[in-house]
Amino acid sequence: MTDLRTRLVAHARTVLRIARWEVSRSAGTLDRRTAVIGLVAVLVAGGIAAGAAGGGVALDRDLYRVGIASDSPYYDAVDQSSTLDPRPVSDPNVELVVSETHISVADTQTGRAAYSAFRDAVQSYNERQMAREENQSAAFPVVVDLQYRERAALVPAGSRVDGGAGGGGGEAGTGDGGGTDAGTGSGTSGDADGAGGTATDGPAASDAAAADDGGVDAPSLGGMASLFGGDTSGSPASISPPFPFASLVLAFAFLVPMNFVIQAYGSSVLNERINRRGELLLVAPISPGDIVAGKTLPYLLGTVAITIAIAAAVGGGVVSVAAVVPIGLLFLASTFVGAMFARSFKELTFVTVTVSVFLTTYTFVPAIFTNVTPIALISPLTLVVRDLAGESIPLGEFLFSVGPILLAAGVLFLLGVGVYREEDMFTQRPVPLKFLDALDSRISRARSVATLSALSIPFVFIAELLAIAVLFVLPVDLTVPMILLAVAVIEELAKSLHVLAAFEKARFSRTLRSSLVLGGLSGLGFFVGEKFTAIAQLAGLQSLTLGQTAFAPSGVGIGDGTGVSALVVLGLFLAPLALHAVTASVTAFGASRGRSAYGVALAGAIAIHLVYNLQVVSALG
Amino acid sequence: MGSPRLAIARRELGSLRKEKTIVLALAIQLFVAAFSSFLVVGLVSLYDPGAASYQVDVAVAGDEEAVEDLLRAVGTEDGLSGRPYSSTSAAMTAFQERQVDAVLEASTGEDGRIRVAAVAPDTGVETTAVVVRLRDALRELERNERAERSAFLATDPLSLPPAAESSPYFGFTYTVLVPLLLFLPVFISGSLVVDSLTEEVARGTLELLRVAPVSFAAVVDGKLLAAGGLAPVQAVAWMLLLQLNGSTIESVPWLFGMVAGLSAVVVTLGAAVAITSPDRRVAQLLYSIGVLLVFAGTSLLPLSPANTAARLALGTAGVGAKVAVAGLVFVGVVALVGLRFVVDRVDPNELG
Repeated sequence: MTDLRTRLVAHARTVLRIARWEVSRSAGTLDRRTAVIGLVAVLVAGGIAAGAAGGGVALDRDLYRVGIASDSPYYDAVDQSSTLDPRPVSDPNVELVVSETHISVADTQTGRAAYSAFRDAVQSYNERQMAREENQSAAFPVVVDLQYRERAALVPAGSRVDGGAGGGGGEAGTGDGGGTDAGTGSGTSGDADGAGGTATDGPAASDAAAADDGGVDAPSLGGMASLFGGDTSGSPASISPPFPFASLVLAFAFLVPMNFVIQAYGSSVLNERINRRGELLLVAPISPGDIVAGKTLPYLLGTVAITIAIAAAVGGGVVSVAAVVPIGLLFLASTFVGAMFARSFKELTFVTVTVSVFLTTYTFVPAIFTNVTPIALISPLTLVVRDLAGESIPLGEFLFSVGPILLAAGVLFLLGVGVYREEDMFTQRPVPLKFLDALDSRISRARSVATLSALSIPFVFIAELLAIAVLFVLPVDLTVPMILLAVAVIEELAKSLHVLAAFEKARFSRTLRSSLVLGGLSGLGFFVGEKFTAIAQLAGLQSLTLGQTAFAPSGVGIGDGTGVSALVVLGLFLAPLALHAVTASVTAFGASRGRSAYGVALAGAIAIHLVYNLQVVSALG
Repeated sequence: MGSPRLAIARRELGSLRKEKTIVLALAIQLFVAAFSSFLVVGLVSLYDPGAASYQVDVAVAGDEEAVEDLLRAVGTEDGLSGRPYSSTSAAMTAFQERQVDAVLEASTGEDGRIRVAAVAPDTGVETTAVVVRLRDALRELERNERAERSAFLATDPLSLPPAAESSPYFGFTYTVLVPLLLFLPVFISGSLVVDSLTEEVARGTLELLRVAPVSFAAVVDGKLLAAGGLAPVQAVAWMLLLQLNGSTIESVPWLFGMVAGLSAVVVTLGAAVAITSPDRRVAQLLYSIGVLLVFAGTSLLPLSPANTAARLALGTAGVGAKVAVAGLVFVGVVALVGLRFVVDRVDPNELG
């Protein structure tokens, strides 16, 4: 016990020492002159940005030319519009001519766009004129009070699996067949906790409005209307529709600073690899894990500090910080792996850009579907939006959103640390080969294959979630086969790449027996890891057809089926294990015969997997 | 004179090809463009009632006379249909049951104004679509009512020309997509110069220059040529791609000149930053801030690059825009000459 403690303390000391060294070394590269130049540049850029935001930079200034006489009643409207550029009527190079009697438009797309812009300009000119009128009640004869009311969360018709009366509730065993959605016909259903009665048949809901005022916490992200704009009152022109993508603003606020952090972090890691500089550190009696932890710590702390500052600025609390920091960790983890693989600064730049584009998409795309809660929850930014709206977030949903990201970051660091050794750091090999090296470095015996398969689950999960989020917009008939194909491709790759790496490194003999053993182990590891996708059920993703399609073949949730004998349940439970073992053995056999054979075997395994998935989905559906 | 520079430029391009980074760079640009168009198509279809087939049903309740006016205004709007309800509570029930998407309750106030209480669903994207349509209908109502009260107004409002069909994505293509595709390669090119120079310093390979028959200036020139030449080529390729996609891009030679001038400025900035602080971390940070400064600063000018590019591509640019392009090319040349002046005074072995 005390032995463990002393060891831990020793590790912590080493990590801290390296972190301090990293900070002081970085500070050393920044001389005073550069720091001053940088600071001045930041201040000037900030000032300009503020000025631009205040003055309004018109991207569309003077876009269209309008021929108009200066005594025309419309002249002022055109002149005051920034998009339109008034020209004399005689000018032939115009898109639009406004004369006394009529408006002539060039018969081009540009002409039609100019006409729309002209119409908008007249409309806003009228508003300005009316604002100056004495008799305001005649100038603005209509007064609007706009209110936003929440309704139970909306799920597009047809995309909802029938029978889930409890929606996200899950554990309520109401089962199928009950009198659920049938009454309303529009396919709605209460998604809220405790919304037991609201989603039922028509007449009972006559005082639903009152109930709504009482605060049924529908977990929609509707709070955004009150975030941006809110209830308004005034003339119709004063209504400004709420900006629907609050998460876009949040994504930029939180993720843009992270890009600066990973730039510096990536440079620092790659610097160690140039001219064998990191060799001294490697020969010191410190484990690679400690070195990496020490080097990462300052950047992680920086990310946390920036996140806290931004969260405080937008009014978020602890939950917001806890939701965003894992994204920062994943940024750092993938940059670390990228910097371990990259051969030059140029390559690193592209790796960093790819990382940030991919992660921004991952956090942003699902958040678009804010009115379909389970999809939106894929992105941790949804948690932030909800935290800002003052809603509470159940632990299960929090884990569903943040868990895969944290796990993926951990596995990436593990992979990177695996190649944090002389033969990989100081050699110039193409990125795919380095990736295989990194996988291979984690394999010491046959059992490791199972572990690696299990560890691939977070990435499989993230990739499948992204696929669901992207495919969600398409009609269900089309998406179901596509999602099944995507799932098959992703899972087969996850089960076989490390086996290929092991064979390429001649770690195992290239025999049929060893490929069967490795395939079986890989399938087993994947199967065990996949059981963790039960988390998906907690968050209610399974209430969507698409979610069920993606996860049903893994056997999750089959136990819910009523009236099925225990033996069948057991069979269904173990069927995925058989599938994974079979397909993994196929690819393992291919991998043992070389890379082109692997490609063929992979295609075969994907086909088997796809057929199996289609069978399961149609059997369950 | 020319050959060592060309050789170095070729070597730079070769390393890009070998690492396949250029493929990645193009893929990323394509992705960013596709993603932003996806967003905008989504956004525009929300804000433009004619663009989407999304139908909004509105429950209308309240004073008989006001309801009639309101229904007429709602009827003129595309994608909006009104249903009269006898009472507000019945309308609200329909709203909660999702038979309608919004509720309008009209009443005549004491001052003769029409008061409309509007209720919209609070569900993010859908809210925007509903509110935009409601606003257009209410503005129509306002215009009708205003016309009835014109006797009390000092100035008559201008009569509004009838609405016409026009592609809602049109403006976006030229004001956002074209500048984005033109300037993104420029930014990446500058970043390449920073990477390339800081790496030479970090690896100590510049020392070899002492024995090689190439000057430091020639090395810098070669790198600038490779990176700076890439941007205009990419920009023109994007413009041709847009052409194929059905968007007419006018004055491509002028756009080419503009990107060339701008990339001369930006790669000069990258090289200058890399020479003054050869550590990549600091250099990339300073470079990013500097580029931000260039783009933010020029956007305040009356002929900002983004706006000029949009007008050139649209074919509505006057002489001013062409003068601006010429000016930009001139600034680029001056920057390159200035950099040459600095580079001649730098000893590459003192860097780092």
